[in-house]
Amino acid sequence: MLSRTMHDIRYNAVDDEILVPNPFSNAILVFRGGADGQEAPIRIIQGPNTELNGADRLDIDLEHREIFVPQPGTILVFPLDGKGDVRPKRVIRGADTQIEGRSIAVDPIHNLVATTGRDQSIVIFDRTANGNVKPLHWIKGPNTQIDRINQMAAYPAGKLLVVAMPGRQGDMEPPRVFVGMWNLDDDGDVSPKWTITGKQTGLKKPFAVAINPDHKEIYVTDMRLNGVMAFSVPEVFKPAAETRGR
Amino acid sequence: MTFKRWTVVSILLAGTTLAGVLVQVRTRESNIDKKPVRYIKDPNPAWSSIAVNAENNMVVMTDENLFRVVEYSRLDNTPPKARFTEPKRIISGNQTRMEMLCGSYIDPKTLDVYVVNNDTQDWMPVFSKNAKGNVAPDRLLATPHRSWGIAGDDARQELYITIQFPSAIAVYRKTAANNDAPIRMIEGDATELADPHGIALDMKEDILIVANHGHRRFYGGAAVSTLGTETWEQWIGKTTYDLNTLPRRYLPGLGKFDLPSINIYARGANGNTAPLRVIKGPNTQLNWPSHVAVYEDRGEIFVANDADDSILVFRTSDSGDAAPIRVIKGPKTKVKNPTGLSLDVKNGELWVANMGNFAATVFPINADGDVAPIRTIRGGPADQVGLMIGNPGAVGYDSKRQQILVPN
Repeated sequence: MLSRTMHDIRYNAVDDEILVPNPFSNAILVFRGGADGQEAPIRIIQGPNTELNGADRLDIDLEHREIFVPQPGTILVFPLDGKGDVRPKRVIRGADTQIEGRSIAVDPIHNLVATTGRDQSIVIFDRTANGNVKPLHWIKGPNTQIDRINQMAAYPAGKLLVVAMPGRQGDMEPPRVFVGMWNLDDDGDVSPKWTITGKQTGLKKPFAVAINPDHKEIYVTDMRLNGVMAFSVPEVFKPAAETRGR
Repeated sequence: MTFKRWTVVSILLAGTTLAGVLVQVRTRESNIDKKPVRYIKDPNPAWSSIAVNAENNMVVMTDENLFRVVEYSRLDNTPPKARFTEPKRIISGNQTRMEMLCGSYIDPKTLDVYVVNNDTQDWMPVFSKNAKGNVAPDRLLATPHRSWGIAGDDARQELYITIQFPSAIAVYRKTAANNDAPIRMIEGDATELADPHGIALDMKEDILIVANHGHRRFYGGAAVSTLGTETWEQWIGKTTYDLNTLPRRYLPGLGKFDLPSINIYARGANGNTAPLRVIKGPNTQLNWPSHVAVYEDRGEIFVANDADDSILVFRTSDSGDAAPIRVIKGPKTKVKNPTGLSLDVKNGELWVANMGNFAATVFPINADGDVAPIRTIRGGPADQVGLMIGNPGAVGYDSKRQQILVPN
């Protein structure tokens, strides 16, 4: 049931499960954590009540047991154990939200959820937001240097958002690519706090990011290289209290 | 059918040198510019499609890993102890407009090579028979996002291109270039197209054959087609960048997992047209059917059955839950994640491009069962397997097993 197009994957460490969206069939697939070979998913979220419409990314909140799914102009929130034709628990949608909805990351400690906003931006909402609500924070402007955002990940202990910036769609080797990191309470036209980019990194078109706080590593996939890199970045993995005010 | 192709990575490769030219980015704290502590990358090709021109002993393959078009001689055969066979020519580089290559076609008269990009470059580059190295294409056609398969109709001078999503087939004049519109589209709920991939024409029976992975979404109601109320310019956009941002009228939630299928249409099908017949069901053994080819004289359809490590052969007259009449599969075949397939009727040979072991394997056209290939062209060492990391659009971390999850 997996398609050749998979733009997100998340591991649920509490239930030992893997979640993958299938945008072509409007579905969220849940596999056993140890799944191998041609193994069927243990749950599928799919059907007209789900309102899924081309969603190809997601994130999970293990604290509150929810799945967050971005899609154009919308964030859908499902129960983590949702199955079948389940209705979303909450839907953030409407003109005030400024949501573009290409990617998503959830911080369950600070009750924040970030997604991509209109005009190359990041919008951040209260985790429990519902309906046509304005974002709490809107990171937008030339200083952000955002061209396009693919996968996002949150580091809740550091109140940090990590995003993959692969450059403009269609460029073979875009001149501006980076892994960018903002505080989840950043607002306005602000540069990223940290970036990973440059000749030494070898990054050409970073498509995705995942974090490993235990080993203080960030994993990056690069489309142009068809490769996976592990960066050791202990300087990034600091509790929010240590970095406050910077 | 279920198939998982995420790569579970726990291999550590350190110290690999990488290169790149990047614009300096402004930060509040600092930029981290250092080598990765581990770098996982397959140095070998991942063959995604193959085209054969028997008259000129020409074999062309697309490489989805290293973004290359390579040409071999039809008679090449890699010795068992050799690391690989050197191609006659390689087209590759940032001038070529090639990245995630999925389909290829050789014009039988000009020997021009047409290649289809999927997902990251919305172009079909065309290269002359003399093109080599990092060269600009002789011609470019803007193709819809997620184009995949290609077939040529040399009698009508037309090109057929499959589009994974929104599921469609675009038919162009063979000379189409730039933002030229297709001359017809097959698209809509009635077509039963479901994430279409390979495509082939049977000129003798006047039919069109399309392999589908089975992922469906429905327009619903009167909105049966993207092009129903839009002009091509609106659909294709002013630039290919627009292709990602155009709204679609799919109804929320109307998605479905269907079984993989081979759909057969009239060659001249147009619009929201139902297939003449559909080969679909558990007996078919279809599992991620990829490129397809037709042996017209014998009335046979060959299918590269990616997720089953097999080649299936059906009759062109088959319909419904038909079992294949022949299956090439097993350890002797060296068939591993076959995505590409081409027939050389003149010499009675079947060519298979294997993504899983960077080998092109050649069989008699009537091969059946667990049979060894009669020739093999390898792009990498025989004792290695392909990582199959292709357009890795996401990454995850399994903290329990300390493994990196990479969907492709």
